[in-house]
Amino acid sequence: MLVGRWEDRIRGAAYRFLGSEDEARDVAQEAFLKAYRGLSGFKQEARFSSWLYQIATNLCRDRLRRRKTRPQVSLEALEETGPVIVEMRPGAHERLLERDLAAAVRRAIHALPEEQREVVILKEYQDLTFLEIAQTLDVPISTVKTRLYRGLVQLRLRLETEGVRGSAGVAVPAR
Amino acid sequence: MECEKVADEALQGDKLDVLYGEADSAACSRVGAHLEVCGACREELEALRGLRRHLGHWRLPLARPAFTPRGFVVPHWLAAAALVMLAMGATLGVSGYLSLRRALASQEARASLLEQEQRASLGVIQASLARAPVSATDAQALVARFEAGLDERLKLSEQQQAERLDRHFASWQERAEVRRRVDMAQVAASLSYLDGRHGEQLARTNELMGYVLQASQKR
Repeated sequence: MLVGRWEDRIRGAAYRFLGSEDEARDVAQEAFLKAYRGLSGFKQEARFSSWLYQIATNLCRDRLRRRKTRPQVSLEALEETGPVIVEMRPGAHERLLERDLAAAVRRAIHALPEEQREVVILKEYQDLTFLEIAQTLDVPISTVKTRLYRGLVQLRLRLETEGVRGSAGVAVPAR
Repeated sequence: MECEKVADEALQGDKLDVLYGEADSAACSRVGAHLEVCGACREELEALRGLRRHLGHWRLPLARPAFTPRGFVVPHWLAAAALVMLAMGATLGVSGYLSLRRALASQEARASLLEQEQRASLGVIQASLARAPVSATDAQALVARFEAGLDERLKLSEQQQAERLDRHFASWQERAEVRRRVDMAQVAASLSYLDGRHGEQLARTNELMGYVLQASQKR
């Protein structure tokens, strides 16, 4: 039951860290296995979610470190850069723009330094509080906020470079 | 245009709290007061809100099931039928086990009753033996009587066997005689059928049947 409750969230975070669905599923499974084995080491003062996110974040870091020595391209990345078959149904154009914007956001987040990327993902997509992120990453809240602020500034600049401007509507990112 | 308090980390933190809805009333007041006088921060906060809206466009792909069934997928009705069969099998197994237990229990009860009866009769025998011990002369006389009785029974049995054998033999002879007569009647009937034929064939047939008759009578 516990697994069912948290699996989607952990898998989602891992997907955003790693950019690969298969790897994200592996990380989620591995995280639950590690949590199960290390239940005796779980400190009651920490939240279970923070502890679980901590395990998953460490697993993702390991994988990213291994990737640096053995570079690989995920299928999702290939799909994004591959040719797009435009279906001329109502709303197709908007969907295409949305897809491009999502790809631009994804590229911008993945271009962030690891420390900032972790905080941005945990805050923006996992909806953790600053305290929970601090517990997960084992850093002070002020550090979390600094990393997040710097990350957001970087993202804003990068998205503007890609042609995504302003807050109104869906902007067309320049490729 | 740049904020005068750009290096104020506390204010930056408060702005983030406001941006993510985690600010308490004091932080809200602090940020509100600053935003009233700082156009750069107002603009920045608005830009960050816009950025958050953009970030929301990166959604997760639809989750694929962890274990995708490949090949044959068992239909629901088949699974239900298998479950029903399983349940019936389990019920039969349980009822069989219970009836077996009942049978074993009743058999055990019967065996224990028999054992009790045997123990009781053994007790009676032992008690009677204790009351009147058998002497050696009495025992010899008992054996002699037993042997005489045994001889008599043997003779009677042999006699009965001999009588039974005689009866069987007589019955067999009678049946053989009847059979012979039936055969003769059939031969006679055949002869009368062949009597309608003519020439040498008839003569030969008669001769042949004569032999058959002779052979039959010899038996």
